[in-house]
Amino acid sequence: MKKGWTFLVCVLAIAFALSPAWAKEPTIRIGINAPLTGDIPKVGEGTKFAAQLWLEDVKAAGGIAIGKKKYPVELVIEDNESKAESAVKVTTKMITEDDILIMIGPQASKQAVPAGGIANNYKTPMITPWSTNPDATKDRPYVFRACFLDPFQGPVVANFITKEFKFKKAAVLYDVASDYPKGLAEFFRKAWEDINGKGSVVAYESFTTKDTDFSSQLTKINNSGAQVLFVPQYYNEVALIVQQAHQLGWKKPIVGSDSWGSAETTKLCGKDCNGAFFSTHYAAAGATGETKKFIDRYKAKYGYVPDDVAALTWDAMKLAQQAIQATGGLSGDLKKDRDAVRNQLSQVKKFKGITGEMTFAGKNDPSKCAVIVKISDAGEFTFYKSVCP
Amino acid sequence: MPLLGWLLGMLAAAMLEKFFGTGLASAVGLPKIPALFGIDIMLKRPLLVPNAFLYTLLIYALPILIVGIAGARAANRIAGWLLRLPMAVPAAVHLGLLYISLHYWADVSDYRALVLKLTLIAIMLTLSLNVINGYMGEFSCSHPGFMALGAYCSSVVTVGLFVDAGMFGIALLPESLGPFVFPIALLAGGALAAAGALLVAVPSFRTRGDYLAIISLAFLFIVKSLIENFEFVKGPRGMSGQPDWAGLPAVFSWTVLCVWTINNYVRSTMGKALNAVRDNELAANAMTVDTRHTKMVGFLFSAFWAGVAGGLFAHVLRYVNPGTFGIQNLAEVLAMVYFGGLNSVYGSIVGAVSISLLGEMLRPLEIFKWIIIPLLLILVMIFRPTGLIAFKDLDAFSLFRPKRKPGGEE
Repeated sequence: MKKGWTFLVCVLAIAFALSPAWAKEPTIRIGINAPLTGDIPKVGEGTKFAAQLWLEDVKAAGGIAIGKKKYPVELVIEDNESKAESAVKVTTKMITEDDILIMIGPQASKQAVPAGGIANNYKTPMITPWSTNPDATKDRPYVFRACFLDPFQGPVVANFITKEFKFKKAAVLYDVASDYPKGLAEFFRKAWEDINGKGSVVAYESFTTKDTDFSSQLTKINNSGAQVLFVPQYYNEVALIVQQAHQLGWKKPIVGSDSWGSAETTKLCGKDCNGAFFSTHYAAAGATGETKKFIDRYKAKYGYVPDDVAALTWDAMKLAQQAIQATGGLSGDLKKDRDAVRNQLSQVKKFKGITGEMTFAGKNDPSKCAVIVKISDAGEFTFYKSVCP
Repeated sequence: MPLLGWLLGMLAAAMLEKFFGTGLASAVGLPKIPALFGIDIMLKRPLLVPNAFLYTLLIYALPILIVGIAGARAANRIAGWLLRLPMAVPAAVHLGLLYISLHYWADVSDYRALVLKLTLIAIMLTLSLNVINGYMGEFSCSHPGFMALGAYCSSVVTVGLFVDAGMFGIALLPESLGPFVFPIALLAGGALAAAGALLVAVPSFRTRGDYLAIISLAFLFIVKSLIENFEFVKGPRGMSGQPDWAGLPAVFSWTVLCVWTINNYVRSTMGKALNAVRDNELAANAMTVDTRHTKMVGFLFSAFWAGVAGGLFAHVLRYVNPGTFGIQNLAEVLAMVYFGGLNSVYGSIVGAVSISLLGEMLRPLEIFKWIIIPLLLILVMIFRPTGLIAFKDLDAFSLFRPKRKPGGEE
């Protein structure tokens, strides 16, 4: 028993000796809800890196300046394992345990939709950089996004193809079991048929997640007389589809969506993707100004060109920073501060992000332009056209 | 020291944290009350390891031990007195104490409450899978499928009847009826899961051996792609907006009900028959056990509880997505079953609680979490091939009975 007490006293002594005097200065905590493990770890990595790059800037400036006072900033980075239930747990944890002022993420709609519900319940502002599903922000005053929506992107692609190539017949190949491709395929079909008349989508083929053989669908598409193929898939499937299409003799254009915009796309796809178009948030090759500065810094630090997730995360962080600064001072009462940040976010007008100009003006989805990117013969994403609402 | 003593200790610890937690946390230099026994703080800020350790010691370990030991004599006396009453009374007292202490523990932050609710649901799932994989000795892979059926069925009922702009436009019933309809919705989910189980059971129990594993895996995929293709339940987009009725009391009582019925079932003649079928189907058949019927009942019973657990899961998260009920989910439940122990109610509880809490505590480790937990599983499989606690059922009497020291006078 004596030993036990000695041990206890020792632990107590060490604890008090080590305990860093907790200066009660108000720290701004920003939550990062990212899929660091699971299906799309590259997305999580981009999110984390962009956020850390932002933190460097803020630290160099001595914190976020609100009026004359500077507040130190802390990032709370948590892994949502790319699962809906984990995203909910992480969101609850950040809000109730870590006292975050604002949350950035989750990225994919599968996590952003449930997490947005939680953030809205706790009246905590949240910006999802990458989720294009309308449900993520619908009827949720506290949830914002930094990208455009699928109902905007679908028509953009349809319009672009019609104007650019004067095609009348299109084919679509999409994953029926995944919400993003399915939604986008539907929006595209509707927009295309509005322009070119009913039945102008001559092949509307689907497959299921983790399928690797698309020959039967592609043969059908080949025989349908379609002039262009729309593939709204994630980068890991794009490579397989495009390569197989070429093997089966498809020589016509292939068009994709913003999910193509990963550094991995060309790596996996090789030469097959050269010449393809896709709509996205920004083009890395040939970027200028702030965008170029961000790309160069990111590349120098982490060794690869940042994809759209990283760029959008950067914009989301900057949006958060601007909204916090616009509050004119934090009261220290988290509830009030969260409300103030939310109100400022909804007022943002003409925010110059590296993925384009954003205006919220009372809404939760920004109005911003889409970019059509062409994959060059060198495998680079080059700017082709900008399409604004 | 009887169970009553431990429970009183837990209650004391929970109360202590509730009323003095914040003060103590700042006294030992922690920014606030640590989330799950301070592991999170220890991993993120190694400097605070002694402080977090001290906090856990002062709030949990010491009060539980002190109250437990000091009150052991009184607790023994009360336990002995309670046992003379009908069994329902001591059971109610123990469960009440357990609930109150969990309630106070979860009251500290909503994150704890959420983790606790999901852990309780994990207990239900693990236990129900153990009926098939442990007690019946067959390998079933369709549990996430049953869970999905339960989750979607109960969501359709609640969202359809009670949510404006839900499935049928306006809410058909007033929200005040919710607490009464919610159990019915869960039961409907369980019933649908059991009906689904019938579809698996009919073809697979004509065969012997590993076929159930394959057929049930196929069933899982069928359910998943059915939901993905039903626009009625929003397909791969997932359903959201379930009413917020799955509070801690609801989840706790359903878990208790689940543990109680499954425990009774496996200790009954039918449960014993299930074991006989597992050990030797031919011999069991020769000894007048209707093996087909026994297997069927066991399978459907298990699926029913998986369905109920799925319904609760949907209402805790208030969002369901077919992607949630996949192979990964199956792997998690299987890990809980085999980690905790086959053929055991205790084992399932231990497995579900330890894997859920470990997963949550080690979250800051990110990718290493998925090295440590499987490694633990491998170690358990090497040193205890049947799991941590196997072949042990709950016996209410021996659980609540006063514990005397050998040779002690009281």
